[in-house]
Amino acid sequence: MNIYVRLVYRNLRANLDRISLFFELVFPLFFIFVQGFALSELVTPFDIGNGRVISYQLFLAAGAITLTVINSGTNAGTQLWYDRKNGMFEQLLMGPFTRLQYILSIILATLIIGIASSLLVFLIALPVLGGALYLSLQSVFLTGLALFLGTMFFGSFALALSVALKSSESFNIVSTFTFFIFLFTSSVFYPANKAPPVIQSVSLLNPLTYATDLLRAGLFDSMTPFISTELTLLTVETIVIFTIAVLAFRRIRV
Amino acid sequence: MEVDLASGSFAVNVKDLSKRFGDKVAVDSVSFEVKRSEVFGFLGPNGAGKTTTIKMLTTLLPPTSGQAKILGLDLRSEGKKIRQRIGVVQQQDSFDQGLNVETSMNLYGLIWDVPKQERRRRIDELIERFEMQEFRKKQVVDLSGGQRRRLQVAREFIHDMDLLFLDEPTVGLDPLARRAFLDFFKEKVKDGLTIFFTTHIIEEAEYLCDRIAVMNEGRIVEIDTPGNLKRRFGSAKAVEFRLLEGASKNLVKALSSSEVVNKLVLDELSGTYRATTSKPELVIPELYRLADKLSLHISSIYIAETTLEDAFISLVKNGSGNDSSHVHSGESYAAASPPRGSFKEAE
Ligand SMILES: Nc1ncnc2c1ncn2[C@@H]1O[C@H](COP(=O)(O)OP(=O)(O)O)[C@@H](O)[C@H]1O
Ligand SMILES: [Mg+2]
Repeated sequence: MNIYVRLVYRNLRANLDRISLFFELVFPLFFIFVQGFALSELVTPFDIGNGRVISYQLFLAAGAITLTVINSGTNAGTQLWYDRKNGMFEQLLMGPFTRLQYILSIILATLIIGIASSLLVFLIALPVLGGALYLSLQSVFLTGLALFLGTMFFGSFALALSVALKSSESFNIVSTFTFFIFLFTSSVFYPANKAPPVIQSVSLLNPLTYATDLLRAGLFDSMTPFISTELTLLTVETIVIFTIAVLAFRRIRV
Repeated sequence: MEVDLASGSFAVNVKDLSKRFGDKVAVDSVSFEVKRSEVFGFLGPNGAGKTTTIKMLTTLLPPTSGQAKILGLDLRSEGKKIRQRIGVVQQQDSFDQGLNVETSMNLYGLIWDVPKQERRRRIDELIERFEMQEFRKKQVVDLSGGQRRRLQVAREFIHDMDLLFLDEPTVGLDPLARRAFLDFFKEKVKDGLTIFFTTHIIEEAEYLCDRIAVMNEGRIVEIDTPGNLKRRFGSAKAVEFRLLEGASKNLVKALSSSEVVNKLVLDELSGTYRATTSKPELVIPELYRLADKLSLHISSIYIAETTLEDAFISLVKNGSGNDSSHVHSGESYAAASPPRGSFKEAE
């Protein structure tokens, strides 16, 4: 059997915390079915680009799906952190693989979790998203790309954090804290271009904004030249953070 | 098993291997060879550099300097090939978070690419052999320290290997489990496995190892068979005895001038005499003859054999071995009789 299949399977079996995974799924559903529903009477439907006008509940539903992506990303850090805490990290590094194969297996496992859980949220949210969905080859491609790049970015980010922070407490605190910064300065809850200038400029640096905008562009056919720029930025940022994570990982002292 | 021409029949071939952490020299230019199908032991107190050496030889830590060949493969350039043919039981715990005993063994076999049927067979065999039946379905996190250790050692035998590194594998085990382990290792060695073993427990090294490297402060002080180490560095044999009457100056005088006694020391505290000698069989009749003459009564007597522990302590205390300097040592009886079972884990 292929070495990655074996390692990824092992990571998924051994290092998944089922309880936090459950809450990672429940959390976005709250946004869609409670908050989005409650607020959609207050916020009038608005144009998200390419002349597409959607309700706030739809807007938030897409955001909630990328929220799943960032949530799953932290799993990459947790997997590594468990292995280090339990002595499996060293054990695996003395096994018949390379360090690179091991770190890639963590990223791959994270991608599987990220994409599977966003699809699950997507399916549950389908009654809300319903007829607003726009289906084409391009939309599927953009949606997939948003999920892939988002998970890669936040997975690598969490890995780098997990390498840098030795204790579980600091990893948990810092990752929760950065999670909220990414979340509330992104376009998950509000369109970045309608926010006050200060927030807008922060939001436009935020990779979660790019991933969310890209996902909406895919779901609702709202692609604009601006979102193309965002896609480029997200790709570059993902490559950079992924490289940093791999380099940091290879230098972990045992 | 294939024999590599470049390294002869050596499983491990180390030349001037060193590891420095900042200013600290953890391993200081060690050189040694391990033959195939041999049990080679590293015996040394905590902090001697045993674990650091294993970490280097298993490719976990890059050496600061020096060369090593593992199974004929170069340590620096053929890491992955080496790892495919070795097994390692670390000193520290290692287990999978969310699994039970059986599943964790199964997954470990899977990542080593052991076929499913074979995994099943070996798991059953190992669980029985290591007496893990009653906790085979238990979550790994819920195991006791000793149970977890058993799992960790047993798990390593799921996959095939030519060379096994065991870093203090019996820590936390009860004497029965410990003996079962050591016997299991011995069987595997008969089947062709080579074992590199570290311990700070002397009896264990003596029981298992074909050759022992005594390590202290990053250096190898001496390498030899347990028997030779005892012979070369153990203190000489001694006859120990007590008198009903306690101390007797006359006896000390008489016995000290005897030709067969090298040295006579009295431990005031216990009232035990220790007559160092190479011929205890001559000292004993002489002792009875003198006691009779002085109207003294011997209440207990025995011949103290030299132990590996004596050899170990004299090696570690005196640094590099020098055969003759130790034979007549034992200035005071107390120093020559160290507390048994020393070098317990500090942690
Ligand atoms: N990562 C490290 N950084 C700094 N010092 C270390 C490190 N690992 C081990 N040491 C030091 O190296 C010495 C040898 O340690 P070790 O190999 O663990 O000894 P042993 O296994 O014989 O008890 C000790 O003094 C230890 O403190
Ligand atoms: Mg050690």
